[in-house]
Amino acid sequence: MRSKAELKGKPFPVGIRGWVLISAILVGLWAWLYLGLSPRQLLPGDASSIGRFLAAALSPALDSQDPGLGEAVRYIVLQNALHGLGRTVLFAAASLLLSILGGFVLGFLATSTWWAGDTITSRGPLRRLLRQVFGPTVSATAKILATLLRSVHELFWALIFLAAFGSGPLTGVLALALPFAGTLGKIYAEMLEESPSAPSKALRDLGATRLQVFFFGRLPAAFPDMMAYTLYRFECALRSSAVLGFFGYPTIGYFLKLSFENLYYSEVWTYLYGLFLLIFLVDAWSGTLRRRLAT
Amino acid sequence: MTALASERMTQIEQLRRDRPRSRFLRWSLSAFVLLLVLSLFSGEFGFEQVFSPRRLQNLENFLTETLPPPIRRGEGLAAGLAWASDILMSPKGFPALGKTLAISILSILLAFFVAILLTPPGSRSLACPEPYLPGLASAKGVRSFLWNVCLHFCRFFYVFLRAIPEYIWAFLLIQMFGFSAWPAILALAIHNSGILGKLFSETVENLPPESTIALRGIGAGRAQLFWFSLFPTGLSRFLVYFFYRWETCIRESTVLGMLGIVSLGYYINDAQATINTPEMLFLIFLGSGLVLLGDLFSALIRYLVRHAN
Repeated sequence: MRSKAELKGKPFPVGIRGWVLISAILVGLWAWLYLGLSPRQLLPGDASSIGRFLAAALSPALDSQDPGLGEAVRYIVLQNALHGLGRTVLFAAASLLLSILGGFVLGFLATSTWWAGDTITSRGPLRRLLRQVFGPTVSATAKILATLLRSVHELFWALIFLAAFGSGPLTGVLALALPFAGTLGKIYAEMLEESPSAPSKALRDLGATRLQVFFFGRLPAAFPDMMAYTLYRFECALRSSAVLGFFGYPTIGYFLKLSFENLYYSEVWTYLYGLFLLIFLVDAWSGTLRRRLAT
Repeated sequence: MTALASERMTQIEQLRRDRPRSRFLRWSLSAFVLLLVLSLFSGEFGFEQVFSPRRLQNLENFLTETLPPPIRRGEGLAAGLAWASDILMSPKGFPALGKTLAISILSILLAFFVAILLTPPGSRSLACPEPYLPGLASAKGVRSFLWNVCLHFCRFFYVFLRAIPEYIWAFLLIQMFGFSAWPAILALAIHNSGILGKLFSETVENLPPESTIALRGIGAGRAQLFWFSLFPTGLSRFLVYFFYRWETCIRESTVLGMLGIVSLGYYINDAQATINTPEMLFLIFLGSGLVLLGDLFSALIRYLVRHAN
């Protein structure tokens, strides 16, 4: 508590929270003016089509709304939805597997503690060189690589791969896997570094090699956290792989975009509900798992 | 083996047998690993196609096209730099970067605002008949049916908001509001308010309750408890999450341009459509530069917030 005399010289005392608020308002104002926004842009241009879209939420379609196709092929939308959701899961799972492998290698290399802190005391100039120069170089390179992979969005990777290889399911998987490997690598490295160092120091003093110190000292302590984070990334991978459909891959986004462009709004809602249900189930399952892993 | 050593071995074996185990955990994780491994061999992803001659031809074309035109023509590095600075000064460069940044800022501010309003009814410790009552203040408190409905409705609403990806929200919103920056801002705000709401609610539940209990003791209501005790106490953690999500907003707002909103993605998509590979790569490179700067800035702020007290 500041006394009255202390506050006397400060006519307008603004605390740290006040500054946070003021700078948020100023930055927001800049962004608003820079984009030239006005609330009037929020008035919908074509109110009737929006009304139809929202009304369709109550009547998701199972059969195609295409009058030519109509009831000739029963439950085609439902089939598409299941097919698309299946592909969404497959794309997410395959890319997550690749990114776990990549992320683990990156995290392993980037863990500076493994090279410097709790390994064998160095003997001789060669070992010292290894410890003081080679180790930090490898660790820094791995960290920079992880950051670079992460900084390019998966959809941009998809664009690059489409330009480089042409379309094909594998390019989609790779596009997802690269940035995810970067993220996993970074987080794995942080978790490995933050795990308690006592077990690995004890192992080192018993004469364990570097690899043994890593796999039996560091890894077991960090493993539950790494697993929990990987489960969370699976959710993100599902969302990203749904979006990949907009670029021609056969995930749920593909069907959604197609139906929307044909103005078959009831079909769109079927796909939206399907995607929502999938994410909701995975969220509930992985949430329970993560709580169990944390204890 | 001596008697002592064998006794040690039995003890270790006993410890191993007594370790906490959960059947649910084990089955779930096994199923998850199985899914990951089987997905690669589902026949969906043909590895053999990758190195087909047609694809290699594609790759070769791509690689020869990547260099900026002036450098490809052998006009030297200066001409290449002039090419880059031309792009930077055109609407594709700095203005697009600025717009991307502005979209990310407005959307995260909006998301924060929505999330903080959803937080009190979505927090277990406030959404109950007697929140923070002195002497009764366990984490669970007294429960009642109506408050449980309120709590679970909020929690479900968070999941609903974040389940649909930003890109799909933006795609749908563009049809409603046309090609202004609003669809991107709203899409990012919707998705992130779901995520922030969940994180904020969990934070509020885990805050040390002493000051809030004291406030309740002198007769404060729910709103007062939240705004005068829980919000100020939790603000530094809220800010950490805020900046963490802002990083992702920058990343996503570059991409949303591909739908036709004027952020960086618009020009990247344009360059791809006109097969202007060098420009596409340069703009992607610019975007990742912005993401990196945002990451650095946000890491710095988060560090400052964490070490403020």
